[in-house]
Amino acid sequence: MTPQIEISNVDKHYGAFHALKDIDLTIPKGSFVALVGPSGCGKSTLLRSIAGLESISSGDLRIAGERMNDMPPRKRDVAMVFQSYALYPHMNVLGNLTYSLRFKGVARADAREKANQVASTIGLEKLLDRYPRELSGGQRQRVAMGRAIIREPKAFLFDEPLSNLDAALRVHMRMEVRALHDRLGATSVYVTHDQIEAMTMADHVVVMREGRIEQQGSPLDLYDRPANRFVAGFIGSPAMNFVDGTGGEDGSSVRLDALPGAPVLRLDRRIEPGRPVTAGLRPEHLFSGGETQITVPIRVVESTGSVAYYTTDTDPELMLVEQGRGKLRPGDAAPLSIAPGDIHLFDPKTGLAL
Amino acid sequence: MRRILSSLTDGKGFDLLLVGITLIFLILLAGLPLVYNVLLSFQEVDMFNLAAFSRPWAGLDNYREIVSQPEFGLVMRNTGIFVFGSIAGQFAFGFALAIFFMAKFPFASTIRGLFLVSWVMPGLVVGAIWGWILAGDFGVLNAVLQGLGIIDETMFWKSDPALSIWAVTMANIWLGLAFNMMLLSVGLAAIPRDLYEAAELDGANGFQRFTTITVPMMRSTIGAVLALGLIYTLQQFDLFPAITEGGPANSSNVAQYWAWQWSFRIFDFAKGATVSVMMLAFVLIASAVYVWSTRAEVRG
Ligand SMILES: Nc1ncnc2c1ncn2[C@@H]1O[C@H](COP(=O)(O)OP(=O)(O)OP(=O)(O)O)[C@@H](O)[C@H]1O
Ligand SMILES: [Mg+2]
Repeated sequence: MTPQIEISNVDKHYGAFHALKDIDLTIPKGSFVALVGPSGCGKSTLLRSIAGLESISSGDLRIAGERMNDMPPRKRDVAMVFQSYALYPHMNVLGNLTYSLRFKGVARADAREKANQVASTIGLEKLLDRYPRELSGGQRQRVAMGRAIIREPKAFLFDEPLSNLDAALRVHMRMEVRALHDRLGATSVYVTHDQIEAMTMADHVVVMREGRIEQQGSPLDLYDRPANRFVAGFIGSPAMNFVDGTGGEDGSSVRLDALPGAPVLRLDRRIEPGRPVTAGLRPEHLFSGGETQITVPIRVVESTGSVAYYTTDTDPELMLVEQGRGKLRPGDAAPLSIAPGDIHLFDPKTGLAL
Repeated sequence: MRRILSSLTDGKGFDLLLVGITLIFLILLAGLPLVYNVLLSFQEVDMFNLAAFSRPWAGLDNYREIVSQPEFGLVMRNTGIFVFGSIAGQFAFGFALAIFFMAKFPFASTIRGLFLVSWVMPGLVVGAIWGWILAGDFGVLNAVLQGLGIIDETMFWKSDPALSIWAVTMANIWLGLAFNMMLLSVGLAAIPRDLYEAAELDGANGFQRFTTITVPMMRSTIGAVLALGLIYTLQQFDLFPAITEGGPANSSNVAQYWAWQWSFRIFDFAKGATVSVMMLAFVLIASAVYVWSTRAEVRG
């Protein structure tokens, strides 16, 4: 797989503020990469640096093998879909779609022809004469996508393109964007703060925090083997439970000191006896192990019909997820069973996975 | 009765009340004098019937006489130069400055604020200052131009008939610069930044972004600025007595100053009114353009 975008040792400073810290990221041609992380972690900054809308302070940026550090945005041949869509309000949909073709010297008739093609790919045929103010949010989003598609760019950059849509449309557009990516054989970088969006759409997920890449890998890699406590807590919904404990005497178990009765769970790996650890337990893994190992009292029950969410009456609170309607009521004791392979262990000080 | 009262506090009645008050003021303070002025231009007025209301009807005689004055053509030409020169200069420099001050550099807004000085100063003061700047023998402008090697001999800005109208136009450009710059700055600031970013990624260079994003997005602002510029320029009076007094030999005389001369130098109020009514036609056209270009703001 040839790399389409290569980012090496990139740093970005806004005055004294260090917004991107030593970013290394290689994006293969044809892949769909998601950048996730909490608000303010530098996702947009990284994306805008690729586009050239921000200049990088040091490091190297290559697109299709060519060094782009000092290349103005219009020569980078990347297309961006903005969160605000940034449609040109004084042009109709046709004008918006064909705007970029004007500067490539494409003849008017050819541009129109191409706009028709793109419009039919994304279902805009009937809207070509409308102005952006006459479109719904979802339609505007499509125009923004169409404006990017028509250029056949080296890479698509998305900055939270779905966050202004309602939940149902968002789920639908998620699939559509991904399908479009596959059909065009495009290379896409997709910024989102919604980890579900990242997990479902991307081949490769990059988790960022405070300007740094915390971990990158395939979605299930991040889910199964989070490199640290931050990634473990960020990936997965509802979020992972963290419980303080100690390594067991036998060296292959962990004692959860923070839970009532300090229950002991078996592990499938070795651990230094007596070592303080933080155990990470995913809410959906707490009924996975077979025989009951712990019982905890339930305080709150929330049910959607297909899934039941329980909050326990312990300190720290645990979140449990059960498929189906859920048989437990507030006050009941929930029988927990956890498979040894589902227990994540982290160093309490550094947060790194053990 | 309650219906009427509640419509006054909550409904349409309140809107009508506000509009009504404004209308009454407008009619009393602007409308009636205007009508009186138009009426005056169709009457024979002399020192004896000045205070009377009904005077002999003159029909179009005043207009015929004005048009057949020997200086009529010159005054019209000067008015054209003054109006179009001022508007073009104010707009071009104002736009350039507005774009310049959009750039983020230290003290940008402070320096921009200083430009308001030209707007705050009375026209007579500005006229006096420009009178000195433009002076032939000791003026700063000549010194600068000669220092730069652009001209060799002294230019008599105020007393050379070929230059005098341009001298006043220059002063008026300076006077209106800040107003143009401010309005255009507001229009520029209202254009979302991400449009420029999208256009830049779409391959537009700086000039193309200016013509395809900035100008069309500013259309209503530009229309308003040009229309207001025309109105303010036709109103501009103070600079003339301060710099050239319309001379030499009417070479810098314009319609508004000529009207004043008719009324208050020659005391032929009918002719003064006639000239001002002719100007009114131009102002009406400008007002129509202004209303048309700002109608988008009402729709939102
Ligand atoms: N022009 C700027 N000047 C100074 N600091 C900036 C500038 N732009 C962004 N920052 C800072 O850089 C950090 C990263 O911003 P960025 O917009 O990349 O965050 P983000 O990850 O996209 O967040 P969000 O999910 O809220 O969009 C933030 O702390 C922000 O305050
Ligand atoms: Mg962002």
